[in-house]
Amino acid sequence: MNAGGTAGGPVDDIRTSLAGPAVVRMLLGARMRRLREASGITCADAGYAIRGSHSKISRMELGRTGFKRRDVADLLTLYGVNDCVQRDGLFSLVDQANAPGWLHEYGDVLSNSAETRLQLEQCASVIRCYENQFIPELLQTADYARALIELYHPATPRPEIARRIALLTRRQMVLREPASCRLWAIIDEAALRRRPGTAATMRRQLRQLIEISELPHVTIQVMPFSTGVAAGGAITVLRFAETEIADVVYLDQFTGALYLTKPDDVQHYAQVVDRLCTRAGLPAKTAAFLRQLIQEI
Amino acid sequence: MSGDQPPYSWTEAEKDLMEGIDTTVPHSARIWNYWLGGKDNYPVDREAGEQFVKVYPGIIAEARANRQFLTRAIHYLVNEADIDQFLDIGTGLPTVDNTHEVSQRLNPASRIVYVDNDPLVLAHARALLTSTPEGATDYVDADLREPDKILNAAARTLDFSMPIALMLSGIMGHVADDEGPHAIVRQLVDRLPSGSYLMLQDGTVVSQENADALEDYNESGAVPYHLRTPEQIAGFFDGLELVEPGVVPIQIWRPDVTPTDPKDHVNTFGGIGLKR
Repeated sequence: MNAGGTAGGPVDDIRTSLAGPAVVRMLLGARMRRLREASGITCADAGYAIRGSHSKISRMELGRTGFKRRDVADLLTLYGVNDCVQRDGLFSLVDQANAPGWLHEYGDVLSNSAETRLQLEQCASVIRCYENQFIPELLQTADYARALIELYHPATPRPEIARRIALLTRRQMVLREPASCRLWAIIDEAALRRRPGTAATMRRQLRQLIEISELPHVTIQVMPFSTGVAAGGAITVLRFAETEIADVVYLDQFTGALYLTKPDDVQHYAQVVDRLCTRAGLPAKTAAFLRQLIQEI
Repeated sequence: MSGDQPPYSWTEAEKDLMEGIDTTVPHSARIWNYWLGGKDNYPVDREAGEQFVKVYPGIIAEARANRQFLTRAIHYLVNEADIDQFLDIGTGLPTVDNTHEVSQRLNPASRIVYVDNDPLVLAHARALLTSTPEGATDYVDADLREPDKILNAAARTLDFSMPIALMLSGIMGHVADDEGPHAIVRQLVDRLPSGSYLMLQDGTVVSQENADALEDYNESGAVPYHLRTPEQIAGFFDGLELVEPGVVPIQIWRPDVTPTDPKDHVNTFGGIGLKR
């Protein structure tokens, strides 16, 4: 939407360099794939040229692995890409794809897979999510987030809690004006009623939700119990401004997050979220619903 | 890390959920989204969209031309006709340069009412087509065949004592001849105050390839689309004063510098009319 497309544009436009390289890798991979297909070369032949397997090429093209400048140079030569400007543009993407972003500074509280997930989140142009257990992370107050940590990970040392809250606050900057992304959240009534912390914490959390829901780039829909509609668990669909990069779905699991990029999987969840948003309450009714809940606390 | 299997077992609730949107028949807003390079389309839409392209490859250029004409028309309406209120019927799925984005870029205080009868389109519009703080956007769940309902709901947001631009982009084809398409437009325009405008564009019978492609499409179970002659399109403007150059292939309606291929200038006709 208003984030604007950066497809084919100058590489500096990519808002990802701040958070981390995951989306740059996906973009570079998509472009390398297009060049390979245009030259009619198979994954196996391309893999051979860089002393690797066909699966190495397919991992590279999906953006799931790092790129070496020498490998990219060899592949471009194999694909017949000799134009200096085009080659330099892709090399510059390689450099960006190898640069650690700010999320790397939180390595002490992030697993590798969580870091990738947050890199993707931080450079999405639209984040759509469905939550039925808790308030979506990007909308949590510090107190609410702390209450969750204390409840589910009671052994967490104080300094680590502080680091986790600092990371959460830093992530929430994507919603500050001028916002780099749109958030479209569907929150089940259960998540709004469940109270991990004190009554005061929950009231403040719900009041903050009302305030955030008034931002033009944030849409919050409530799924009231009365609709009878629910999905199995939390779903997040990330949309990127770059036309070459398809949507990514991620699902929180007990043992870390799972992220899906296969078109069939993504399609399935995108359709579920499409259905949820047509059944949930109108965005214009959200504030009144939340005010009612605050009164009931 | 990769998902081989969806990790959740779905409950009865999901079956209920699955009833809302039909993913087994193509859907015009989602096919349109596919032709425009969007990401909000389903396999059934891509298949129907691809099939259409095989028979009529020009549809991709035409879909883009449709959006470009919309943008040029809004520029004219805001900059030269001082219009700051829009009634856009047949919103479609959000894409780039939606009506309120173009008009609010030129005048942030513009007020826009989007009307559609499709739950998915409306949900996306409500979430993504949001206004500047100075202006307003509203969304009306109504069918084009209910002009009174549309006009009454639009009056919540638009001031009907001041000029309004009525925008009908590629929607009249969804109304069959025996449903009185011209009378519907007349009914809508009648309620607009003097100084208002009608902007309308629609596919015509001129391209045989397009007509052939549409024949297959209309048999797919999708909401059918009815092609008209350029004269019938012009007939929607009866009683209005046409803005130059009149009702023409949209690519040559006040074109800007971006050149388009003249062989594409055949099938979608449109224009702008002023209500005196």
